[in-house]
Amino acid sequence: MSDQTQTDRARPEPIQAVPVRHPGRWLAIAVLAVLTAMFLHLIFTNDQFRWSFIFSSYEPGKRGVMFTEPVLDGLRGTLLLTVTSMVIGVVLGVIIAIMRLSDNWILRGVAFVYTWFFRAVPRLVLAVLFGNLNILWDRIGFGLPFDQQIGKLFGIDDLNAQFYSIKASDLLAGFVAGMLALGLSEAAYMAEIVRAGIQSIDPGQGEAATALGLSRGQVLRRVVLPQAMRVIVPPTGNEIIAMVKDTSLVAFVPVTYELFFQLNAIKARTFVVLPVLVAAVIWYLIICTVLMIAQYFVERHFGRGYGASGRARQRLRNIQAEQGGVPASESGAAT
Amino acid sequence: MSTEMVRADNVHKSFGSLEVLKGVDLVVNSGEVCCVLGPSGSGKSTFLRCVNHLEKLNAGKIFVDGDLVGYHERGGKLHEMKGKEVARQRRSIGMVFQRFNLFPHMTSLQNVMEAPCRVKRENKAEVRERAASLLERVGLGDKIDAYPGMLSGGQQQRVAIARALAMRPKLMLFDEPTSALDPELVGEVLDVMKDLARDGMTMVVVTHEIGFAREVGDQVVFMDGGVVVEKGTPAEIIANPQHERTQAFLSKVL
Repeated sequence: MSDQTQTDRARPEPIQAVPVRHPGRWLAIAVLAVLTAMFLHLIFTNDQFRWSFIFSSYEPGKRGVMFTEPVLDGLRGTLLLTVTSMVIGVVLGVIIAIMRLSDNWILRGVAFVYTWFFRAVPRLVLAVLFGNLNILWDRIGFGLPFDQQIGKLFGIDDLNAQFYSIKASDLLAGFVAGMLALGLSEAAYMAEIVRAGIQSIDPGQGEAATALGLSRGQVLRRVVLPQAMRVIVPPTGNEIIAMVKDTSLVAFVPVTYELFFQLNAIKARTFVVLPVLVAAVIWYLIICTVLMIAQYFVERHFGRGYGASGRARQRLRNIQAEQGGVPASESGAAT
Repeated sequence: MSTEMVRADNVHKSFGSLEVLKGVDLVVNSGEVCCVLGPSGSGKSTFLRCVNHLEKLNAGKIFVDGDLVGYHERGGKLHEMKGKEVARQRRSIGMVFQRFNLFPHMTSLQNVMEAPCRVKRENKAEVRERAASLLERVGLGDKIDAYPGMLSGGQQQRVAIARALAMRPKLMLFDEPTSALDPELVGEVLDVMKDLARDGMTMVVVTHEIGFAREVGDQVVFMDGGVVVEKGTPAEIIANPQHERTQAFLSKVL
């Protein structure tokens, strides 16, 4: 009965109330507007920026400092170094995270010590250290470990059981040293990120997959990691962006094949300081923007089955169900 | 034709110093529905998880279809099974959890297809067809592309049942399958389970649904304090319990 009377009553006028005023917000916006205007004014009117030096030509007959050949080479080096050290970091990081979660205390301990060491030592120090590490060996190669000592044990002097070796100062220098310093350091951070991701997954997920007969590897690859990715991706995006910038540290290895080093060289040669630095800022901004766009799509991919849209649809359906407007197929009548 | 599907001999299980199972004996025959009742903390869920070796026993033995679960017995000595061998045993034992545990990053269909495709490496097109018909069977033929987050609890649990059935198990374990559901959704899940029982599936069901146990159970087991207090037909246990702990429990839930 009460339903009847309710539907019979006329619908009241929609509410048209005066919204709450926010004078503080308007004040803040005004201040920001003035600051923005000042900034734009600076950029467009101050000659010291020397935009033509940056974009069109920094010396007669040469392109702008952003696009000159050594700088583009440096940019390629920076990107290559970012990609390779991140690949090392992610792969090794996943392995260390899995070791850290192992039942075996030795594996756990090794993973802990690794993370401890590489998080404790600053990247700059690591870069310099790896650049000088080749002092320790003449040659580096693959083969039987402790071959000299084993040889002595059997009375053979100077047993060489290396299949392949290379002069240490050729291998462990420059780009490779920088890549290892950054990659190994990154692995320590990635290990913690991956561990957090794996531990964020409800243990029931692993149990359900195990009960279906999936092997431990399959449980990890098919069920746990894809869900953990949702937690792993955002901080990994942070790490990649940080890595782009940290590549500038390899100048201390030393590696010259790097964006900031190349720009610095031009700065030292031409004595033009600010425009070169601005060029560096612009390049880093561009790289970072591209990475953030990529991250958006990666996050969307791993957000499958979670997104707000799914939940919103569920809520909408619940409301429909309450109002009795459910399609027959959704009314939940089983078998 | 009553072969033993599950046989538990004097099963003990402790978590640290807490002994949860203190000598459970149970036989479930092929084609039988065994309902396990009991207050929380009585060890009934733990026992169920021991049957497919999600928990390791501390003492005693469990056999499923004649095979010792989780161990090889050679020359009077027990050898732990490798992970792959345990996984092989679990293939023929389906399990349904209280909190569904569907994989949230996969659609209903992908949830059901995952194990046959990855574990048994069956032909994908065949599995797809079978998975779709299983979802049809549990009344979710129109939800094959829905993600678990878009389904109600009852629907999720029915997908979970279809997922377990996709491996063509000879034994189904249900761990309080309706305890996490809104009251009006319990019926749809129980209907699917009744249907399964009618088709002759061997089932061990840990439940608080006394009505279900009475209607569908061939054997009802009452557990308390880590032991089986009483077992028998539903008529014996539910209508006419002999033990005072059973009586006390039933008087509270009925």
